[in-house]
Amino acid sequence: MASLFLLFLLVVPFAALLLLLLLAAVVRPRRVRIPIKGRHVLITGGSSGIGLALARRAATEGARVSILARNPARLEEARDTIRLATGVDAAVLAADVRDPTAVARALEEAGPVDVLVCNQGVFVPQELETQELEEVRFMVEVNLMGSFHLIKAALPAMKARARETGLPASIALVSSQAGQVGVYGYTAYSASKFGLRGLAEALQHEVIADNIHVSLIFPPDTETPGFAEEHKRRPELTHMIAGSSGGMKPDDVAEKALKGIKSGTFIIPCNFEGIMLSIATAGLSPQRSYLTAFVEVLGAGFMRLLGLCFQWNWFNTIEKWHAKKSNK
Amino acid sequence: MAATLLLLSVPFFSLSAIAVALAFLVRPRPVRIPVKGRHVFITGGSSGIGLALARRAAAEGARVSILARSAARLNEAREAIRLATGVDVAVFSADVRDAEAVARAVEAAGPIDLLVCNHGVFTPQELEHQDLEDVRFMVDVNLMGTFHLIKAALPAMKQRARATKLPASISIMSSQAGQVGVYGYTAYSASKFALRGLGEALQHEVIGDNIHVSLIFPPDTETPGFAEEHKRRPELTNIIAGSSGGMKADDVAQKAMDGIKTGTFIVPCNFEGTMLSIATAGLSPQRSYRMAFVEVFGAGFMRFMGLCFQWNWFSTIENWHAKKKSM
Repeated sequence: MASLFLLFLLVVPFAALLLLLLLAAVVRPRRVRIPIKGRHVLITGGSSGIGLALARRAATEGARVSILARNPARLEEARDTIRLATGVDAAVLAADVRDPTAVARALEEAGPVDVLVCNQGVFVPQELETQELEEVRFMVEVNLMGSFHLIKAALPAMKARARETGLPASIALVSSQAGQVGVYGYTAYSASKFGLRGLAEALQHEVIADNIHVSLIFPPDTETPGFAEEHKRRPELTHMIAGSSGGMKPDDVAEKALKGIKSGTFIIPCNFEGIMLSIATAGLSPQRSYLTAFVEVLGAGFMRLLGLCFQWNWFNTIEKWHAKKSNK
Repeated sequence: MAATLLLLSVPFFSLSAIAVALAFLVRPRPVRIPVKGRHVFITGGSSGIGLALARRAAAEGARVSILARSAARLNEAREAIRLATGVDVAVFSADVRDAEAVARAVEAAGPIDLLVCNHGVFTPQELEHQDLEDVRFMVDVNLMGTFHLIKAALPAMKQRARATKLPASISIMSSQAGQVGVYGYTAYSASKFALRGLGEALQHEVIGDNIHVSLIFPPDTETPGFAEEHKRRPELTNIIAGSSGGMKADDVAQKAMDGIKTGTFIVPCNFEGTMLSIATAGLSPQRSYRMAFVEVFGAGFMRFMGLCFQWNWFSTIENWHAKKKSM
């Protein structure tokens, strides 16, 4: 009896070590360090919110920063903000990411990019039944097609540049926790953000040989001007359900994002709930860190259980809300 | 001896406890969606998986409508179904990219019980070489087309479900490429992954109306669409995607119908598909406590398998590039 117990005590850490070694051999793509200092970082949606915070951070770290957005006035304000905060002069590019010709022109003007951050995004939560198709199209065009336009425009020069310099480059896409799970009110937004993951998983296969590394960032609700707008429009049920994830400051999101980009991490969560969500939704995503892979393998089952608990909670909430409405 | 029995009873009771807990936990609750005598509306219904679905639904006694672009192919399809089942299906010609045309077709068809958004286009190519027009084509048809259909069908579906008190279904044809993105699939995987985001959120919004959302994830299926796609495939896509076996359209249709009738959210079509679905279960809803049990206990191993697949794929890509260089 005691010997059985001792055997068990020996087998478990041994099995864990074996798993760790296996994972260390298996994880792909291999680790990478992507330098920021002195390199060209282009950030879309860079005149406010997370984009502006990212631009400030990149500038502080010595990057040559370009920011792209629609509104020239806000771009100028952003440039001033960055100059005041860091002493660095960011280049500004005005373009609507929905327009591939304008995007191509802007990318041409900006010059070859080392780190492309597709951070632009719009978000209007509403039940699909009552939402205008124009708004659905707006989110898909900006969030998803806009990213296609940017990558298409930037890729040739990025590849050439990475080849010349021998340095690893990065294409980072800002998704959302709504790109890991779809909830009430988010049909169009979650569709556009889930789409980015399909894009990224395939893209990483296509550009790994060019030493370009793809990252997806998954922030929770973040206190930005965009969020303030979105919050006004939220259906009540979206509030009750999505309110379960805490809000973050753009600067903290930017910090996590940049850290992940520099290590070529494919799935970048921004807070604790985000880490849990990322383990639950790891799926077939690539993983460069054998330690994270270890946590993913061992935590996957429990995270699925937790995910089921969340859905139990959400469907109950929806049921009660409808019952209450029926009674009135 | 007694000690061994005691030791074995611990995992046995824990596992049973978890199974019981899951039986209480799984949401939404199980449902049976009848097909006989109900209106099934299938897009992309003139060929491939859609046609096979239409045949099956007709054979099960449903009133079937099929939507596609080409009137000629629609009529051929109608003939084929009549010959196979004796049932006359209604045909509607519309391009799903045109929201107004879709609304007109759905209006003409009348209230729907089971909406099957099965239409889809697929051109595999490296994003660097692919025309943005092709990318837009896939996103517009596969994703926006589905939004157009659901928007158009939803009001009458809700009313009908309320009037008949029978559960309705919105099912969406995704793909294994909507569970994992691989070389050559940036646009296609983007459009198919997006359908899952749509589906997860939509289920929250329509559960209160007794409408049940299903996503179907077929592998490569032998259809006219696939034959076209196969010609254009980059070599690396062939090597990588070739690892999943092909299926016949009729078998996919059978699995799809089974899943739709039980309101299953994630409907895989073959064994690899089931493995993939466990690996990518994420935060998807699950009505079956048995399947939930398999997901919880299989998740870790499936993540490990997934990492092995990526190891294999990245190695393949590396080897292919090395070979090209040395030529």
